[in-house]
Amino acid sequence: MEYQWQFDVVWAQFPKLWDGLQLTIMLAVVGFILSASFALVVVLARISSSRFLSLLAIGYINFFRGTPFIVQLLWLYYTLPVVTGLLLSSISTALIGITLNLGAFIAETYRAGIASIDKGQSEAAAALGMTHAQIMARIVLPQAIVRVIPPLASYWITIFKDTSLFSLIAVAELTYQSRLVAVDTFRPLETYTLIALLYFAVTYPQARLVDYIFDRYRVRS
Amino acid sequence: MPEPIVKVTNLQKCFGSLKVLHDINFQVFKGEVVVVIGPSGSGKSTLLRCLNRLEEPSGGSILINGEEITSKSARLSFLRRDIGMVFQQFNLFPHMTVLKNVMEGPRTVLKLSSDECESRALSLLKKVGLEDKANNKPATLSGGQQQRVAIARALAMKPQIMLFDEATSSLDPELVDEVLAVMRSLAEEGITMVVVTHEMGFAERVADRVVFMDGGYIVEQGKPSDLFYSPREERTRKFLKQLQRQEPESPANSQVG
Repeated sequence: MEYQWQFDVVWAQFPKLWDGLQLTIMLAVVGFILSASFALVVVLARISSSRFLSLLAIGYINFFRGTPFIVQLLWLYYTLPVVTGLLLSSISTALIGITLNLGAFIAETYRAGIASIDKGQSEAAAALGMTHAQIMARIVLPQAIVRVIPPLASYWITIFKDTSLFSLIAVAELTYQSRLVAVDTFRPLETYTLIALLYFAVTYPQARLVDYIFDRYRVRS
Repeated sequence: MPEPIVKVTNLQKCFGSLKVLHDINFQVFKGEVVVVIGPSGSGKSTLLRCLNRLEEPSGGSILINGEEITSKSARLSFLRRDIGMVFQQFNLFPHMTVLKNVMEGPRTVLKLSSDECESRALSLLKKVGLEDKANNKPATLSGGQQQRVAIARALAMKPQIMLFDEATSSLDPELVDEVLAVMRSLAEEGITMVVVTHEMGFAERVADRVVFMDGGYIVEQGKPSDLFYSPREERTRKFLKQLQRQEPESPANSQVG
């Protein structure tokens, strides 16, 4: 028997998907800003002269890079309220999860960027009498940031797609909404085909933009 | 005898099990130009880098203006304000213009006003002959020009002493002279300088005192005329002789000052 594709019933549900897409974009944007900022704190701890801070950062990075993101999300979703006594919304849990997960990866990217700055730069700044904090803020980080823009742009694409995992903890983003639509319409094939195309339509231009950024900020030696 | 600006006593430096400085005793007086020469790996750059603690000494004492800089309580960033340094690789800040490079020290470290920093920077750039490059990025400059900017950047802090770590060693031969000329004019102004270099002509013409190092020891030091033309130590003689073979225009050979 030939399958009869019927997209019209799914199209009729498009407002729901549209809501989901908006939430997906919001989560990606906020999640990205949070993880990129948090990673800065982590990397400063990681390279600080304090052994305690440094070990703490290393432990955190290794743990969150060494466990699956889904497991982290589920763990936060069920454990966080019990441990902290706070009732967190799914969206807050999702944002905490992505910040902790991606923060670990981005922190390592920052560290590589910082390490790539010639030692002579901080020596010259130190010789002028700058403090460690001044050297970081004025000399090393401004140069390192330019170098981490391309990998950071890749993480943006990653986070955009990873928001789909939030559907597992009942965040009403695009994937979650599409499951509702699929169940409502009894048309999973059409729904998921449409969703896949929707993700691609949004992600592909951004991926091209990332390619452009890679080209633009390639380190010229 | 006045108090020396730099007084190094029994300085030692080890990299792991390798001892690169053995009980160095060394002084620099105000207005003096001391040139440190010696074969590669003799410890001369390490000695220089210990003076502002870019290298951590393993033992001994370093007094700068009577203040012990090797002590744990020494405020390094504070002490380094008075010690200018010029590096072999220039190490200009590539994300800033030439002008901003020179302004950076007075602005960030001394917290002087923007106007004051700018006028100080511009007059120093003029001094090294690069005021027309003020708004260029360092990457657009030749090596010699970059090194002159680096000298201006160090001078902008009005240091009491300037350290030159092989400032011309990575330059193309035709660019060496413009940098040496700037260094020479600083020496003539009476700025206290410690210069590590392979430029024997500069050592002979500009130095008040030449220090010869080998194998982590100060082998011999004295006036350039004495050290180059009547060295007391066999190792100094050997080193100068090797130079003669490599570059026929080294002072010990050419006899013209």
